[in-house]
Amino acid sequence: MTGAYFACVNANGGINGHPIKYFPLTEPIDPAQIKAKAQLLVTTDHVVGIVGTSDILECGVDAPYWKAQGFYVIAAGIAPECWSTANSASVNMGPRYSSDGATQYVIAQGATKIAFDQSNVPGTQYIAGGPNAIAASKHVTIQDFTENVPITSANGIAIKLVDAAGPSGAVVLNFTPPEALKILKAAQQLNLENRVKAWACSTPCNTDYLATTLGSKWDGKLFVNAELTPLDNNTSPAAQLFQAILKQYGGDVTGGVGSFSEMGFVMGEMATHALGTITGPYTVASVNAAFKAIKGYNTGLLCQGFTYGSYSEHIPNNMDYTVTPTNGKFLQAPGGGCTLISPADPQIAGYRAIAGTAPVAS
Amino acid sequence: MSMIDTARHAAPAASSRLPPMDRRSLISTTVIAAALLLALFALPPLMSLYYTDTMTQVAIYSIVALGLGLLVGRVGLYSLGQLAVLAIGAWTGARLLFATGQPFILVLIEAGLVTMIIGSLITLPALRLRGLYLALITLMLAGAVTVILATVNFPNGGGGFSGYNGNQLHTPHIRRPSFAGTDPAFYRFSVIVAIVMFLLVFIHLRTRPGRAWAAIKQSEPAALAAGINTTFYKLWALALSAFVTGVAGALLAGADGQLYSIDFPVQNSISLLAVVLVGGAFSLAGAVVAAFLQSFVPALLQVWGVQQDWLTIIFGIGVLQVLATAPGGIADQFPKDMMKLYGLISRLWRRPTAAKPAGVAATEAKGGDPA
Amino acid sequence: MPSWADFQPFIVTGLALGGIYALSGVGLVVLYRATGVLNLAFGAVGAMGGFIAWQLIHDGVPGWVGWLACILFSGLLTLAYGLVFGPALAGRGPLVQAVATLGLTLVLFGAMDLAWPTSAGQAPGITFPTDNGGFTIGQVQVTWTNVIELGAGVLITVATGAFLRYSKLGTAMRAMANDREITATLGVPVRRVEAAAWFGCGLLSGIAGVMLGDPSLDATTLTFTVVISSLAAALIARLRSIPVTLVAALVIGLVHDLLTPIQQLSNYQNMTPFVLAAVVLLVASRSQVMTRSREEG
Repeated sequence: MTGAYFACVNANGGINGHPIKYFPLTEPIDPAQIKAKAQLLVTTDHVVGIVGTSDILECGVDAPYWKAQGFYVIAAGIAPECWSTANSASVNMGPRYSSDGATQYVIAQGATKIAFDQSNVPGTQYIAGGPNAIAASKHVTIQDFTENVPITSANGIAIKLVDAAGPSGAVVLNFTPPEALKILKAAQQLNLENRVKAWACSTPCNTDYLATTLGSKWDGKLFVNAELTPLDNNTSPAAQLFQAILKQYGGDVTGGVGSFSEMGFVMGEMATHALGTITGPYTVASVNAAFKAIKGYNTGLLCQGFTYGSYSEHIPNNMDYTVTPTNGKFLQAPGGGCTLISPADPQIAGYRAIAGTAPVAS
Repeated sequence: MSMIDTARHAAPAASSRLPPMDRRSLISTTVIAAALLLALFALPPLMSLYYTDTMTQVAIYSIVALGLGLLVGRVGLYSLGQLAVLAIGAWTGARLLFATGQPFILVLIEAGLVTMIIGSLITLPALRLRGLYLALITLMLAGAVTVILATVNFPNGGGGFSGYNGNQLHTPHIRRPSFAGTDPAFYRFSVIVAIVMFLLVFIHLRTRPGRAWAAIKQSEPAALAAGINTTFYKLWALALSAFVTGVAGALLAGADGQLYSIDFPVQNSISLLAVVLVGGAFSLAGAVVAAFLQSFVPALLQVWGVQQDWLTIIFGIGVLQVLATAPGGIADQFPKDMMKLYGLISRLWRRPTAAKPAGVAATEAKGGDPA
Repeated sequence: MPSWADFQPFIVTGLALGGIYALSGVGLVVLYRATGVLNLAFGAVGAMGGFIAWQLIHDGVPGWVGWLACILFSGLLTLAYGLVFGPALAGRGPLVQAVATLGLTLVLFGAMDLAWPTSAGQAPGITFPTDNGGFTIGQVQVTWTNVIELGAGVLITVATGAFLRYSKLGTAMRAMANDREITATLGVPVRRVEAAAWFGCGLLSGIAGVMLGDPSLDATTLTFTVVISSLAAALIARLRSIPVTLVAALVIGLVHDLLTPIQQLSNYQNMTPFVLAAVVLLVASRSQVMTRSREEG
């Protein structure tokens, strides 16, 4: 989607007359290839900025490289280093803080026990740390599980989670959409969806085909942490621009319309804005200085203004939406408007101590 | 090679001495030496970092393919779980590199030895089984190892036996040798390690174990009848294969910097077997070809924007083709095809004047020295 | 240690899972006994059929037509493979022939990922009308689909066993498994019997593919994980006995799911098929040397 945004920019004259040359690369989840790709971009393609990276491992693998090369990356992160290093700022919250948001919401709905399940990819304890801290602060019991993906026996998992949460509890999932769907569909087949108070999911679940596939049984039962402004039935200028760009330039966009495609849009938007502020030549130094200088920028799709800043860590998006499926679309859930992620999560508290708390963007 | 030959060579006391080289071997050795010198010295300045990293992977996987080719081509053991062995080596290497300050080369050897011991212990009970069952057991064992690794995880700088800390905000990178920290330097180092491993296997092949393996491959009962301790030699092959794969694993740890269990799924063992078969399981050159297929071609495809799935499909077709028609793989077939081409060209060249014999003689020359 | 009530629901899900492994495992054993080939592409063929069924249904074709298409496709694909590569690899031994089916597996796996990538923003899955009905045993919800899956596994096992034992074609298949040449000299149309075996195995993999595709179709799981688990069951039966395959498959499914509520062990539950198969094979190999015969490479 970032590429689509840049295509639109280029079609409308580029940045002060200069077209953006965008090198989107994909690679399998392999540290060697991730590193090699980073080097390819810098030493062969001579890129001046890195925007739009999204990969389970990338931030961790490339962090030292970006630091050495002086790049300040704008990412849709997943690995912990996307938030914990100086050289990366993400437009999203990532698995930990997104799970925080989901946990917070279900606790606010009255859940007294939580079964938290995630895929067994690197960093599970780090990810679980957030929801555990938040649950502890509200005196809610939480039990952590991990599953090897791809999931082979979803029935057993669904039963296990429902048993652990109990009738006054909630199940919180942190999986990619196909895997989350396996668990949710299994739960539905086994008639388990009403055996707990609520189901919640981190951001990856916020994608259109999940809403349509699940059907109406989950309306008002499943709460997805959306990280960015819900798009369905959204008529704001930013949302309209998103739909227009998706329609005209978004032929290559995969994975459905939802949080991740929005993140791509936002990253493209901010990079374009930053690039527009550069008056001299476009070099690694000037472009990355411009990225770093982004301050309080209102993207129209985030709760808060986005600030990069010169901090040792970056969690610029720490205010959240929650959506629920409604007639095949994801719409804002009751009480799911811009909500700050709780500082019970020590990482959030630490960030706000150095960067302050950005207010809701107007 | 007939049974009688083997028996004759196996008997005398001088059996451990390396046999003299003939002219063809001399030529191929020179070619190989030239290629290696090129790889070590001429390439690095020409390659971008992207390709340097890719070629490092090629060097590492050539060792893995060497180990697997040894089992498949020489002893007839189709291991369906070689990637699990690699993972064990990588795990051990990473653990040692994080926990101790030992020199990198020492860690390589230690990782190789540990992998050798574990690999042998795990497969020892299975050695009674033959052919298909042995292959399937390797699949089962590899599957078990994969699940264990997914739970125990790879070391990432944490403490305790597993060296895994799931709670980190920053994951440190596995260290490299002090003299080979940069990517080009590590590439050269990997190539040298690969050369050493190849030499190790080469020496084995030229001496008694190699002859015993050839005898076992041809006919196990006959080898038994000839007095060869087949279980011992099979175990030796497994141990050697596990050793070199373990070394490759530790090298991989240094190359990648971070290791994750999701990078060693069971299906990759199958595609590894596929590339070894396609590249050529019967020759050392085949191992290098296999490594190129495994690591270089995908990197190329990524740059060209072609999806990896096409390569998977081609490998599948390659396996079918190799097994059905050309068991020696590319390494075997390519020289044969080149000789045929040479024969064809010389036939066409001579057609205005004289006859066929030159072409016929050329095609009769054996291609693919089984090194 | 969890209580009996905690284990109960997992008995149901475990049996259903085992039923499907049984289906695949029986198919493997039947084909092996009839042709000497261990068809490791079983899962991939069924998965591809499942995806095709989903695509057809997604494009408006009625459900049962889609399922039939899956089953037929799998049967025909397996038959085609057998007809082309059976003769080409005949006499190379079961090991080589099994590895060749791995080649087919890779081709199909690559093709499936190309045609239906996981990132495509779709959720392929088969649904049966029996998915949402069911009954409760105690605390446990049993869907009609679960019943069908287990029932199909048992039924097909019994039917196949009877077929092999009592029917002419089945007897011919068993004879061929024993010795192909002699069977041919007895006037049995070997090629046709073989073709029937390949086709039958394909049909079974299609049935397994359709059932396993409910509710989600996942190429990796169906191509590799299910095959390895079914293979484990078949190995426990020494690639010979169909009833033992059924029992082994049910045990594997049961043990796998029963480990779920046991916290300390649940992470290792995916090891169940491997451990069980390895143990049985190794124990069996002690008591009897697996002597060289036509049956191994």
